[in-house]
Order: sequence, then structure tokens, then C-alpha cells
Amino acid sequence: MKISEVIKILDGKLVAGGSADGKIGEIVANDLMSDVLLTDSENILLLTSLASDQAVRTANIVGAAAVVVHNAKPLPATMCQVADSLGMPLISSPLAKYDACVRLYLARKAEGTGA
Amino acid sequence: MSVYEPKILSGGEHRSDDEIMAGCGAAEDSPLVIMELLQRFQVKDVMRSRNIISLSRDDTLRSAKELMRDNKISGLPVLEGRRLFGMVSMNQIIKALEGGWLDDPCRMHMSTSLVVLEEDMPVSIALKYFHNYTFGRFPVLNKAHEFTGILSQRDITNAMLKELAHEIAKLENRSERHIGTDAAEVARAEGAIPYYSLRQFVIVRNDLANAGKAANEIKRMLKDAGVDARIVRKVAVAAYELEINVCIHSLGGSITVILDHQSVTIVAKDRGPGIKDVEWACQDGTSTANDWIRSMGFGAGMGLSNCRRVADVFNINSFVPSGTTVVCEFKLEV
Repeated sequence: MKISEVIKILDGKLVAGGSADGKIGEIVANDLMSDVLLTDSENILLLTSLASDQAVRTANIVGAAAVVVHNAKPLPATMCQVADSLGMPLISSPLAKYDACVRLYLARKAEGTGA
Repeated sequence: MSVYEPKILSGGEHRSDDEIMAGCGAAEDSPLVIMELLQRFQVKDVMRSRNIISLSRDDTLRSAKELMRDNKISGLPVLEGRRLFGMVSMNQIIKALEGGWLDDPCRMHMSTSLVVLEEDMPVSIALKYFHNYTFGRFPVLNKAHEFTGILSQRDITNAMLKELAHEIAKLENRSERHIGTDAAEVARAEGAIPYYSLRQFVIVRNDLANAGKAANEIKRMLKDAGVDARIVRKVAVAAYELEINVCIHSLGGSITVILDHQSVTIVAKDRGPGIKDVEWACQDGTSTANDWIRSMGFGAGMGLSNCRRVADVFNINSFVPSGTTVVCEFKLEV
């Protein structure tokens, strides 16, 4: 699934970090950055409520494809700057994390790529 | 709830924390040196905790007025022991003068909707509260919600100026030290891993705004040097965890990365206070982080165990109070 499709599914918008052309691998929904660092997958989509620079830096460390922040939380200017400097697509979605997970699960199931 | 119970408002009831973080440019626009000082200090380091003039609930507003006049202060906490019941400010005194109730006890007119600071918040966050509210001072509480002091902008300015003089000399040497960079450049041009490269990053206490920069830079450096992507990821994870640990748990320190033909080594060294029980600290889920650190996405207690998981060799030495050194080594596949 492409990042641009993720944006569409989550009614989101690309706020910073450049292109939405990349593809996502597994989906990780978590607010604890040490848990995110435990993941072994490449190109994860990180869904988080943590609107801070560290969400983007953590995502970059694990080679994530993009970061989604929920509930239309206001994103600090520095978070967008970090996303731009690391080239990490940063998406803002009005959905709650649970709703976002459900939508992505159903979309991937329909796509046949698993959840 | 008794009628004297103050209503403690968090920042979020007026504006969300995110709005506070996003909305206040004052601290972000400050010079770097000042920002580092603001991050390094916690509220308890700069607040006034001694000789605090306070009122009890039964004191009259007239006695509050006299205390304010005699001590040239514009607000007083209403306390009993270490319990905070409210605040009396100049505003309430003016209203009492106009309304003729100067002899009423404070409890009838004091402010009970209070915005308070936690004593372990970084000063940078406290400054944002000053920016977002019009109060001249904030009462400070500890984890047990006991009153521990008062913080005004003047306290912050005084502490910063005092510290600034000491810090300027140190900050001149703050920039990264590069050793062997030329060799690394040559090796990169030849598409080979450099013979030896060392780079050191200074980590400032509580500077969460910059935490993670060193790890991201280490990741870029290793990638550029042609290190296998799987190893780069492991090193980056360890460097990031250690950087966060030094930032939130120590008085400050450094992260050093050493790259040679056979391995990558990350050394995290801090200046204290040391870990009392290293075995305990290395277990999954154990942490001494406070709520504020957890609210920033850290403090899950996975840091050291994550490092141990990804590293081929993991060593930790800690002494109270002098500090902790963690060494993580990653073998290169040659």
C-alpha cells in the first residue's frame, strides 16, 4: 500500500517530510518509543498520538516509511522541521487511533496484503 | 471535596500541551546557549523554596496586604503545612479595598483555581506556562502534591544569568569532536569502511528537544561509510536508547561512536548520579522515569534491555554518584 493511499483512507493530510509515493510495510500503533524501537520490520507505518520531534526521530531510526499522528493534534513546528530534514513523511489524521487501525486493517484485507 | 480544596488546572484545560508546545515561539526563538540552559534546569533548581512568605486560611486580607507591602511582593500562597489551599494576589486586595471586605479571612476570597508547576519539569516548559498564562508566579508542587516553592520569571532570569557565565566557556567546546574524519572521507571515496573513525556528541540533561539527533547522525554516518543496513539499524537503536537515557536520567554526558574494520562501538558515558541496582535497571519494564518523561513517549523501562538485545557485546559499569558508562559493540561482517 502506498503512503498516498494511507492518507486517503485516514482522511489525513501530508504535513511535512516530502513525498507520499513510498510504500508501507507493517503497521505499528504505539506511543512508547522504546516499543517502536523493538520492531524488526522495515518501512513500517507508525501510528502514534505522540506529537513530538522524538516520534519522527524514532521512526527514522527504525527506517519507517511514514508517521501518522491522530486526533488532528496540533503538530509542533519543530516536529515538522525534523520530518523535513529527515525526509520522513508526516501525516495528520482526524481519526482516533483505534478507528485508524480498523480502517487500515479493512483496507489491507480487501487489498489481500494482510493486516 | 472541601470548599478549601484548590482546583488544580493543568495546562491542557486552557490549552492542550501540544498547543503550548506549538504555540509558544518565545523559548524556541531564544539563542541556542540559553535554550540549553533552560532544558538542563528543572523547576526545582531555580524556584524559591526557602523563606517563603505565606498566609493561612484564617489570616485577613488586611494582613495579606501588609505582608505584600512590607515585602514588595504581589502574590502570596495560602498554606497549611505543605498543603496549598489557594493564592492571594494584588487583584484580590484591590477588590477588597474597593468592596470594603479587607478584614475578611483569606479563605473567602483567595483564588482556588490554580495553575501549578511540577518541580521536575524543565524550566523551558515552565517558561511556556508563563507565556500562556498571565500569572506572575506559579506555585510548585512535588509528586505528592505538596507545596515546595514558588517560581517567578525573575527567578528564572536570575538563575540563567548566574549559570550563563559558567557555561559559555564550556559551550565553546560543545561542538562535535571529529577524529580521523579525513581517513573516513578517503575511505568513503574508495567505497570501503574507514580504517578508524571516532565521533563524539555531547548530551545535555533534559534536552529532549534535541534528544535523538546524535543517534540519527550516527545512523547517517554509518550508512555513508557503507556499513551493512541491518547493523546500522541495530547500532542506531542502541545509540538512540542510550542517548535518551543520558538525556533524561543523568546530569549530562556524551555518546561516542567508534568505527573500525571489525566493529562499531557505542560508548555512553554520563556524569552521574549513577545506578544503584544495575541488574534491576537492565530488566524489561523497570524504570525510574517520572510522569513528565512518560508523557513525552519515554520511560517504558526498555532502554537498557533493548541495547542488550541488539548488541553483540554489552557492558555496563555504574558508580553512585560519579556516573554510568555503557559500551555496546557490534561486529561487522567481514
